[in-house]
Amino acid sequence: MKCRKDKYAVKIAILAVLSTVLLLLTGCWSYRDLTEINMVTALGVDRLEDGKVLVTVQVVEPAAIQSTASGKGKGGVTQQKPVFVESYEGETVFDALTSMLSIVDKKLFLGTAQVLILGEGLSKNGINEVMDFFQRNHEMEYDTVDVLVAKDVTPKDLLKIETDMDPIPAMYIKKTAENTVSRAKVKRTMMIDLIKEMGNSGRQAVIGQVAKEGEKEVRTEGAAVFRDGKLAGWLDPYATRGYLFATGEVKSTIVNIPADSGKISMEVIRSKGKVNVVFRNGEPALLTIQVVLEANVGEYEGERKLDSPDDLHRLEETLGEEVKKEIRMTVNLAQKDYSSDIFGFGTQVHKYHPQYWKKVKDGWNDTFSKLPVDIKVDARVTRTGFIKGQIKKDG
Amino acid sequence: MGDEGVFEKIKNSNRAAKQNINSDGACIDENEPIPQAIEAVKARLGEIFSGCSDFMYREIVCGENNCIKMSVAYINGFVDKRVLNQDVVRPVLDYFSNAILQDKRNRIYEQLKECVVNNSDIKEAENMRQVVDNIVSGEALLFIDGEDRALVIGVKAPQGRQVSEPDTEVSIRGAREGFVENLLTNTTLIRKRIKNPNLKLEIMQLGEQTKTDICICYIKGIANEEIVKEVRDRLKKIKTDAILDSGYIEQFISDSRLSLFPTVGNSEKCDKLAGKLLEGRVAIFCDGTPYVLTVPYLYIESIQASDDYYDHAFFATFMRLLRLLALLVSNLLPGMYVALVGFHHTVIPFKLMITLAASRQGIPFSPFTEAVLMILAFELLREAGVRMPRPIGQSLSIVGALVLGEASVAAGISSNLMVIIVAITAVCSFVVPPLIRATMLIRFVFLAAANFLGFFGISSVFVAVFIHLCRLRSFGIPYMAPFSPLTASDLKDSLVVVPIWAMVTRPRILRQENVKGAAGVKRQEVRLKR
Repeated sequence: MKCRKDKYAVKIAILAVLSTVLLLLTGCWSYRDLTEINMVTALGVDRLEDGKVLVTVQVVEPAAIQSTASGKGKGGVTQQKPVFVESYEGETVFDALTSMLSIVDKKLFLGTAQVLILGEGLSKNGINEVMDFFQRNHEMEYDTVDVLVAKDVTPKDLLKIETDMDPIPAMYIKKTAENTVSRAKVKRTMMIDLIKEMGNSGRQAVIGQVAKEGEKEVRTEGAAVFRDGKLAGWLDPYATRGYLFATGEVKSTIVNIPADSGKISMEVIRSKGKVNVVFRNGEPALLTIQVVLEANVGEYEGERKLDSPDDLHRLEETLGEEVKKEIRMTVNLAQKDYSSDIFGFGTQVHKYHPQYWKKVKDGWNDTFSKLPVDIKVDARVTRTGFIKGQIKKDG
Repeated sequence: MGDEGVFEKIKNSNRAAKQNINSDGACIDENEPIPQAIEAVKARLGEIFSGCSDFMYREIVCGENNCIKMSVAYINGFVDKRVLNQDVVRPVLDYFSNAILQDKRNRIYEQLKECVVNNSDIKEAENMRQVVDNIVSGEALLFIDGEDRALVIGVKAPQGRQVSEPDTEVSIRGAREGFVENLLTNTTLIRKRIKNPNLKLEIMQLGEQTKTDICICYIKGIANEEIVKEVRDRLKKIKTDAILDSGYIEQFISDSRLSLFPTVGNSEKCDKLAGKLLEGRVAIFCDGTPYVLTVPYLYIESIQASDDYYDHAFFATFMRLLRLLALLVSNLLPGMYVALVGFHHTVIPFKLMITLAASRQGIPFSPFTEAVLMILAFELLREAGVRMPRPIGQSLSIVGALVLGEASVAAGISSNLMVIIVAITAVCSFVVPPLIRATMLIRFVFLAAANFLGFFGISSVFVAVFIHLCRLRSFGIPYMAPFSPLTASDLKDSLVVVPIWAMVTRPRILRQENVKGAAGVKRQEVRLKR
């Protein structure tokens, strides 16, 4: 009995020693202290004339951020810049990022990236090749990275701006893109959405557009239309909104409509959009876009009161027409100029007529361009704000 | 026959040898008779108590022609002398002042016992062993010339401090009375709360040298007889020189003597102990200490407080959950921090990460080293606070707060965040006092695991600790009950506290039959009877 107990104890001891050794021998596998990494906040990717990739990173210096946030710089020392921007070229994105270590002190950590800016040159050449790295890399957080396409400026120049609004320019750019919630004039694409759209042949990618505005600001407005991963053209802010109305991505926006006297700014507070394909004789005959939206009167320059139901009905009609016009403009651009099914009609076909889809999959964009599009907008005006009309002196 | 005789001899000589060693010279045989002649008694006691200046021996001579000789022996200061004089010496002198020695001596003894001595607490001692044991326990012994028996008169003076509020267990609501060092006072405090003859108090003595009074207390009909028997057996097995505190007993009777987790509970509060007894637990009182042990002790008891039952059930439930959270935080927080900072950067929100990185900037130590240093510094402060004389306390807290909190950060030795983490960890560990010691050590294990393997290490250690907890038993009752094994009816007083009017059944888990035997005895599968 005692003997057996001893054996048991020896076994336990051996096991304990072995597991301790096992723990110690691993070293500190993948251990990296926070102070030993460079936190990348923004990435810019562009393609050079010779086919090489130019990667720009914006790296944050936490200590500098902390001291600007708390308002106390370390006395005597000149204020450290909150971020630094470095560029490096390489055959691939990964190659460039790793080679960059020859000029950057610590390993670049991509998990903190907030914005990915694609250059115009790269976009024209096709983005699918470089996006591979971002999908493959385990550090990337797909759902927090905003993807934007730089127009008339290289990503490098864009990331070099120094704004007064936020110590980290990347956060500033990201926030202007986030503002689309109340503006609906820029398409906001998270990296995860882009990756999804890249794998979806029934819908072409649309990525928000960013441009430089003066020395210190950016302008995030409009969108870039892609066709099979290559930049096909641009949408202006209104066309972008037309696109967002059609796809149901409008959260809130201001639509200006003409009135008898002065102008009216309608505040859209709710909007739903739906696209569909009508089949006749086994062939797609008609593309439909249906939008239902709800709006308030936000501002009225005229002096009339807006209290009768007739007034509101007229407002609803005018608003509907206005929105319809914008959508029509976008549809025309997508069909005639870019020949790119950005609305996702193809997805509908794929879903409900899979057999037919198999046949037309490859040439769908051309088929799409030739089909008639029916647009229906159902606008409802619910409130006129706090007042029915302006306050007048005579009463 | 011959063999048996030899065997007996060896056994006797062994016993004698043992007694010689144990009693350091004063060798008293189990059955040594009390000498009939009072002079012999005096001589023998003088021999046994030689060198004991507090041993008192008073001779009383009375009756006609000084025919009745008696003597009183006691330990000075241990007995109430006034009571001894009023109840024993004076009545004896009065009663026998004119008596003539005509009756048999027997009658004197009987008269003394029945009508002379004014004390209700009278016993008899029949041999020297009992005589000596009673003298050292604080009783007065009355010897009569010509008798081989002695009267044991309970005139023990009330000793020790007054009943007061315990320092270690404070509650907002509930009784302020705490146990004291005196065993009798303590049992009285319980009897006062449970007025029921079913409250049984079994007394026994432990400790070869100290002869400490131990009292097993339970409520017959509520406590599981098997557990009571088990407690009795385990206590009887204790062979030691001294029991100076109930902590000695705790270590002897624990199921798993090496486990960090307590399997024997202790309390200083009367109302808490009464509650435990009424749930069917067994209490072990130990003379000389205010800490009363309760068994079986389950894990869930560490997050229970007596306030929980006096307050609204919703608050009680909230507090229970809060305590559980505190328990987790105090175990895991430093390890979590090290894992986050060292391995899992992607799960930290961006802005928090900037704060973290900024606070870490310029710190020469790795997060692990930093955490260990700060925790050690805190534990040192805590220990110093316990050990040192009270009046110095304030200067210590100043040194602790300034040096650890401010200066180390200013000097760039530790980060602000680490100070906060250690502080939160410390506060949380104080929320669950029974587990402070276990938490203190396990925290370091979590830290080391986190430093090597990140969250994977933490979860591995967590699983290991959990397995250990599920394997533990306290007096045969699974430690993690009522969760494992799941006892639905006992969940009413676990993480959720139901109102007191809804707690209609007693804890079922304590009533189960077929509980496991003593530590080391083969384990039996516990089957729950439902």
